[in-house]
Amino acid sequence: MSQMFQNTELTRRRVLQLFGAGAGVAAVAACAPSAPSSTPTSAAGDPTSAEPTMAPPEDFSFASWSLAEDAPKAVIQANLDAFAADSGITITPASYPYNEYLNQLILQVQGGQFSGAAQLDIAWLATLASLGKLVDLADLAEGRGYTASALAAGTFDGVQYGLPWTAAAIGLVANSEVLGRVGATEIPETIEDFEALLRELKALGGGLIPYAASTKVAQLKDVQVWMQTFGSKLVENGEVTIGDDASVAALTWYKKLYDEGLVAPDVDRFDARSLFAQGTVGLYDDAPAGRPAVLKASPDTELGSKLLPGARPVVASGDTPRAQAWGHTVVVVDGPGADTAAQFVQWLTSDEDVVVDYFTQLGLPPTTDAGLASSEVAADAFIAAFTEKITATASPSPFWVFPNYGQIDSAINEKVQAALIGQQDPATALAQAREAAQGLIG
Amino acid sequence: MTILDTRPSTPVAGAGGRPRTRRLSRSSDRPAVRIAAWLSVVVLGAFAFAPVYWLLVTSLTPHSAVFTYPPTWFPANPTFDAYRELAQNPALFTYLRNSVVVSAVTAVLSVVVSASTAYSFSKFRYRGRRSLMYLVLASQMFPQALLLVTLYAVFAAYGLLNTYTALVLSFTTFTLPLCVWMLKGFFDTIPDELVEAAKVDGASRMRTFLTIVLPLAAPGLVAAGLFAFVRGWNDFIFALTLAGPARQTLPPGLVNTFVGEAATAWPELMAASLVVSLPVSAAFIVLQKYLVGGLTAGAVKG
Repeated sequence: MSQMFQNTELTRRRVLQLFGAGAGVAAVAACAPSAPSSTPTSAAGDPTSAEPTMAPPEDFSFASWSLAEDAPKAVIQANLDAFAADSGITITPASYPYNEYLNQLILQVQGGQFSGAAQLDIAWLATLASLGKLVDLADLAEGRGYTASALAAGTFDGVQYGLPWTAAAIGLVANSEVLGRVGATEIPETIEDFEALLRELKALGGGLIPYAASTKVAQLKDVQVWMQTFGSKLVENGEVTIGDDASVAALTWYKKLYDEGLVAPDVDRFDARSLFAQGTVGLYDDAPAGRPAVLKASPDTELGSKLLPGARPVVASGDTPRAQAWGHTVVVVDGPGADTAAQFVQWLTSDEDVVVDYFTQLGLPPTTDAGLASSEVAADAFIAAFTEKITATASPSPFWVFPNYGQIDSAINEKVQAALIGQQDPATALAQAREAAQGLIG
Repeated sequence: MTILDTRPSTPVAGAGGRPRTRRLSRSSDRPAVRIAAWLSVVVLGAFAFAPVYWLLVTSLTPHSAVFTYPPTWFPANPTFDAYRELAQNPALFTYLRNSVVVSAVTAVLSVVVSASTAYSFSKFRYRGRRSLMYLVLASQMFPQALLLVTLYAVFAAYGLLNTYTALVLSFTTFTLPLCVWMLKGFFDTIPDELVEAAKVDGASRMRTFLTIVLPLAAPGLVAAGLFAFVRGWNDFIFALTLAGPARQTLPPGLVNTFVGEAATAWPELMAASLVVSLPVSAAFIVLQKYLVGGLTAGAVKG
């Protein structure tokens, strides 16, 4: 009996040993590199090439978060279908939620699972370009009439990785009816007058939020534009300048608005849109892309005519108003079908009929001179005013050139909030923010 | 000094000659205690069901009234537009089918593997048993997101991305540890004498496991299966990363469809959430007695 038990124990041990060996083999096999991509990855690859290409069009994939959203989905799908039918190919759509899009795309691109065209927020270009799998589209950009500022948004490290699809900025949008209650007809030019307007709006009472500025950590990057307004460069020659007198003055001013109740706590862009749609906000920060969402969520059918975009106030009259650039660009990930994908991207972003139709359906401004000069765009008073007053002086965030800009933003935002809620004074908070950001930049 | 009489109540002869048992009064019989108990039930129930009610109300509210302030408990102009949108969106049925398939297979696989493992831990004695048990438990301490990149690479290498297999295997990976511990507790309550008796009667180990132990452990198996089903049903990040559009399950599918760059379609999202929670709710209602039994198995010794 005991011998049988011993035999059993040995058998179990042998089974466990074999199992362990098998697991080890499986682990080693899993560490094997994935199947190599069929084409060499080179950021300098030129899909169009100078010599005439006789290669037939190839199937490719198109990644876009907008493909899942009701309004843009139909428009984009129609464009995909038209190009695919014309070229005799199949375009495979890929879509992820906006908040998860960049992570998913990075995973797919790094893993060699994706090649083709991909929509990008202009803030994400450096992050994706740093993977070394994007194609240079400079030749395709020539002669298509893109505006210089739009092209710049698709450039990283001197290489034209993205062709601009839509370009605008994030700026102040006011409710003209609410402003009218205090006798204001436009957003004031100077910060001093802007503060006075906010106090007058506050005095109206009734739960009105004078300025639905971003105060949630995730969206506190808007404060950086105010720091630039006060004169801080944020980054200069690779050195983070946050914590200088200008940025401290900006945060001190922002905190004053917070303490006086002129801005509301715990507000992000989504909240601001919802509140603005309900008519309980005087001003908020948004890009033109937010307009459809605001109008849809509003019980006021006339709200569209009350939207009043305006330049961010400046410290002294005559200063250049600051705004953060906003937009979408389309890049090409090297791999099978990259050449055809590049041709598609050029057509999608610069064909006049296509870009004007995109604007007509979705309200997203084109990026070509011809598109911007079209009668449809010119007839949209909101876009015309937005472009003239805000987009004209917009610039990208200086942190976007760093692939880990998201972490840098988070590090700064956390310290800004610490100052807002009184945990730290602005100078100390921004000094720590500078240190954290500089550590991430290197 | 009052001496508390702890003797059981004694029969007392009643008017008809039949003994009447004098009941000892219990605190729960007092009206105040019962009222307080019911009040607690109502408050806790309201706390638990208020979000569900709000979900229903939002699904019936027009877009322009979702963020009305002050909020109203009853929509002024209820509408079924959100439900109509759902019915016209065929992709949602694809997500639902994928969720049902993946969750069901995950539940079955988890129960099969965890039952075998738990039985081994409970009824066998061998070297390394305790280490294996703690290893299984320790694996539960890893954040799922930590496993995601590794699993992605493994599945990509084996060509399993965008397949049901990838989802089932990854879901099973993080449901197994708790299922094993849950079932081990259940198997521990099954007397070893039963197993020995079966052995004496000539039953093989497998036969003993399949025909004697498993039927006794049915509540535990149901509980483990339900747990695995719900974990698979609710998972977001693994389903988003490992499944393509054709295999996307409900959580990433709903977020992809209704949560946009500029806005969230709250009425449609609430309507979809309500509709897709119905199958899981029905399963819980039908199987709740097994769930409670399975979760508390082994809680009281002896």
